[in-house]
Order: sequence, then C-alpha cells, then structure tokens
Amino acid sequence: MVKKVCDFWSDDAVSNLVEIKDVRFSRGSRMIFNGLNFSIPRGKITAILGPSGTGKTTLVKLITGQIRPDDGVILFEGRAVCPCSRQRLYEMRRQIGVLFQSGALLTNLDVFENVAFPLRQHTKLPERLIRQIVLMKLQSVGLRGAWEHMPSELSGGMARRVALARALVMDPKLIIYDEPFAGLDPISMGVIVQLIRETNDALGITSIVVTHDVAQTEILADQSVLLSEGVVVAAGTPAELCNDRSELVQQFMRGKSDGPVPFHFPGPGYVEHLRALASS
Amino acid sequence: MSGLVREGWLGFREFVGTFGAFQMFFFRLLPYLPKALLRPRLIIEQIYSIGVLSLVLIMFGGFFVGMVLALQSYSTLVEFGSADSLGAFAAEALVRELGPVVASLLFAGRACSAVASEVGLMRATEQISALELMAVDPIEHIIVPRFIAGVISVPLLAAIFSTIGMLGAYLVGVHLLGVDSGAFWSNIQVRVDMYEDVASGILKSFVFGVSASFMAVFEGYYAAPTAAGVSQAATRTVVIGSVWILLIDFILTGFMLPGV
Repeated sequence: MVKKVCDFWSDDAVSNLVEIKDVRFSRGSRMIFNGLNFSIPRGKITAILGPSGTGKTTLVKLITGQIRPDDGVILFEGRAVCPCSRQRLYEMRRQIGVLFQSGALLTNLDVFENVAFPLRQHTKLPERLIRQIVLMKLQSVGLRGAWEHMPSELSGGMARRVALARALVMDPKLIIYDEPFAGLDPISMGVIVQLIRETNDALGITSIVVTHDVAQTEILADQSVLLSEGVVVAAGTPAELCNDRSELVQQFMRGKSDGPVPFHFPGPGYVEHLRALASS
Repeated sequence: MSGLVREGWLGFREFVGTFGAFQMFFFRLLPYLPKALLRPRLIIEQIYSIGVLSLVLIMFGGFFVGMVLALQSYSTLVEFGSADSLGAFAAEALVRELGPVVASLLFAGRACSAVASEVGLMRATEQISALELMAVDPIEHIIVPRFIAGVISVPLLAAIFSTIGMLGAYLVGVHLLGVDSGAFWSNIQVRVDMYEDVASGILKSFVFGVSASFMAVFEGYYAAPTAAGVSQAATRTVVIGSVWILLIDFILTGFMLPGV
C-alpha cells in the first residue's frame, strides 16, 4: 500500500531529529534544491554552510514548514513537516526555537514581555512562575538586568541574546540559529558562540546553525554540511571539511575569491559587452 | 494603440487579482472575529492607539468643519428668511454626512496609515515570521485586534466629530452671527430624526470603519518587506481607503435618502 507523505514515519527518528530526504525546491525557473539529503543528529550542533544565495535560509523555512518542498520530504521527530494540518504544524513549531538574524523581537514589548510572550500564549502558568522562568532564561543569557529595556534600547548582540532567551523559554527540542554571527563585534560573537554551546550541552537540545562563518563553525559545530548548487557537496566534522580535497570545499573553507564559485556573475564577455554598448 | 490595450489588460488583471486577494483575506479574517472578542485586552490596547490618539485631530476637524458650515450656510439661509434653521441645517449635514465621511477620511489618514506602516514594518523586521514560528497566528494576534478596534473606533469618532461640529456651528451661528440660541437648539430637536439621521450616520460610519480598517490591515499584511514597500502600503491605504469611503458614501446615501 502507498504510504501518504503525512503518515510518513522514519525509523531513523531515534538518532536523527530532522531528516531531509530528496528535497527539491525551486523559485520560478530557479532551482534552489535539487535532491537534498542529510540528517540532523539529536543532541548535536550541526552547521549548515554555503555561499550566499545557496538557499540556507530557504532550508530553515522548509524545516519549519513556512514553505513546502516541490518534492521530497522533511521529517521532524520522524514525522513529515509538510503537508500537515495547521494545528499539527503549530504543535511541531512549539518544539522548535528559531533565532533570527535580526532577533525579530516584538518592538512594542519590553525584554521581559518578549521572553514571556510564548509562555503567555501557550500556557496557563501563574504569573509568579512565568516571572521565575523568564528571569531564569534571561539570567542564562546574561541579560536579567535588562529586563525592563525596550528592544530599541538594545545593541544587535543583546537583541540576539534576548531572542535566544525567548527561543529557549518553551524548552524546545530543536533550536535553529539563522546567521547568528552576522554583524557582531568579536566580544558579542564570542558570547553567542559560548551561549550556543552551553545551551546545547546543558539542555541536551539539538541545534542547527545556519552560517557562512567558517572560523566560528570550526569552534562550535559537531558536524557541518556544505551546500552548493542545490545539493550537499560535503558533510562531516569541521576538521574533515577543512581537509576535504574538493576544490569547492577548499574555496569555501579558505575563503578564496575565485574558484568553482566564480567571482564574476555569469554574463557575456567584458569586451563583447563593451562593444555591444558602443554599437547600440 | 496595441500598447495601450496591453497596458489596460494588465491593469485589469492586476485589479481582478487584488480584488480576489482582498475578498480571500476578508473571509480569512471572519472566523477569527468571535475568538478575538474573548481576548479584549488586545482590542482595548488598539482602540487606545488608533482611536483615542486620533481624538485631538477629530475634535479639531469637527470644530472647524462646524464653524465653516455655519458661516457658509448662514448667508443662504438669511436670504430665505430662515436663519433660525441654521442649527438644524448644520446638525443634519454633520450627523448624516460630514461627520461619518470627514471623520473616516481623517481616521484613514491618521490611524489607518499608521496601522499599515506598523504591520508592514512588522513583516519587514521578521516579527510576523517570528510569531508564526512561535506557533502564534499573526492574523489572530496582530490583524484582527486592529481591525476590530478600527471598526469600533470610527462610529465613536464620527459621533464626537458631529457633536463638536455642532458646538462649532453654535459658536459661530449664535455668538458671531446672532442666531437665537433657543431657535438653534429647538430646531435641531425638531428636525433631526433618530432613525433617518442619527442611525443612518452610525451605519455609514460603521461601514466606513470596516472599509478603512480592512484596507489598513490588508495593505500592511501584504506589504513588500522593504522601506519602499512599507511606504507604498501606507500611501495605498490612505488613497484607496479614502476613495472607497467616498464611493460607499455615494451608494449608501442613494439607498438611505427617502424618495431617491
């Protein structure tokens, strides 16, 4: 009997929290993923690497069910993310925390209320308990003292730490960090790296770090997945990726400006282009 | 010529598409309305932000419109020897027409543009995505409270506009132009009908409130997540919202006027 996608159950769900199986996705005529396959093991930090425009953020949207793949299946805890009912999707999302690049704090609420927001929406906990949980989460990101601040009063790094506290407040099984190191000064970056590691180890959760910061990935990640041209081109520990002989992997890991990922955007030759402009 | 036809066709297609999206969004909102009323705190917050904070503008608007109305109508009424009817004339014009229409236009300019910008900016700064990923429905949490607050606020603001407008007309008519105070108020009492005038004004302002508030949340929710997208959403809210108000006013007036 043919199994419906929504009834799909993976036997690997015990070891892998998220499984991406033969996922294809395109925007218009542009193919973003062309048969993507990899798994996110439980309790580990997995870095998803790739040059800009490879679809890393699109992958986050696929995993969280914000968009649907054209083909293939994404499993969270062994169950298909899409297609499923809105209720089930929201149930699944309650087990996932997402840290946006901008923090995406609700600007009309102060720090305390931002962190308390998911608890107020999804639980009927007494106010006293909510206060204790929120202060505990803010303490864990080092911002308990800023509980009365508004988001506009926070630096970029502080906003991300508050967003991390908010992502942790429902004790999720998976946390997805979307470009957590972008635009941070070295101190804030060090703080975020430490927080991701400590959070992952202390709470036993699974983390996905979507980034193109190779240096931080080497320190932080248990495994890395390098995406390019819609497929996984390399996967393994950061050390294994650094030693990979593939030209593409070497270009990315060593930050070379030219290589398999060309410096120039595809187009006609420079001389022909100038001649064509001159003759027109 | 073919270029014009093509442009016209593309414009027509865009209009049909937008109108379809408009309807779909409206029907998407409807099931949330009863649920939202069970959480009044969000609605009250929005009534404060878009209704109460519009009060000063509405009161100023009403006061000056009432004064201008008295000045303009007095000269004509005097010619026919019915200057005492100034109060009734101003009251009918304000309650039936100017109150609902001008208050709604001012509301669209002050509050609806703010709502569209706020919601558009929430999309641009990923706050709406964050809500969805926290398993909180943004329609329920963001859109519906603003919509309901707008629908509640506009009739109240229109009533305040008309009341203050009558005070403005009274000041000009009685204290500046010398109309008898007793005649001013008694004519209002005699001529202004509860159902034909007041109820039709309330109905109009309710429909304008639905129209303007819906336009604000629709444009904000579907705003392109860029600076230009947010500003376009605010502009479209005011322009299209105002045109809608005037168009609906014409249709409703046609239905409500006795003998038309």
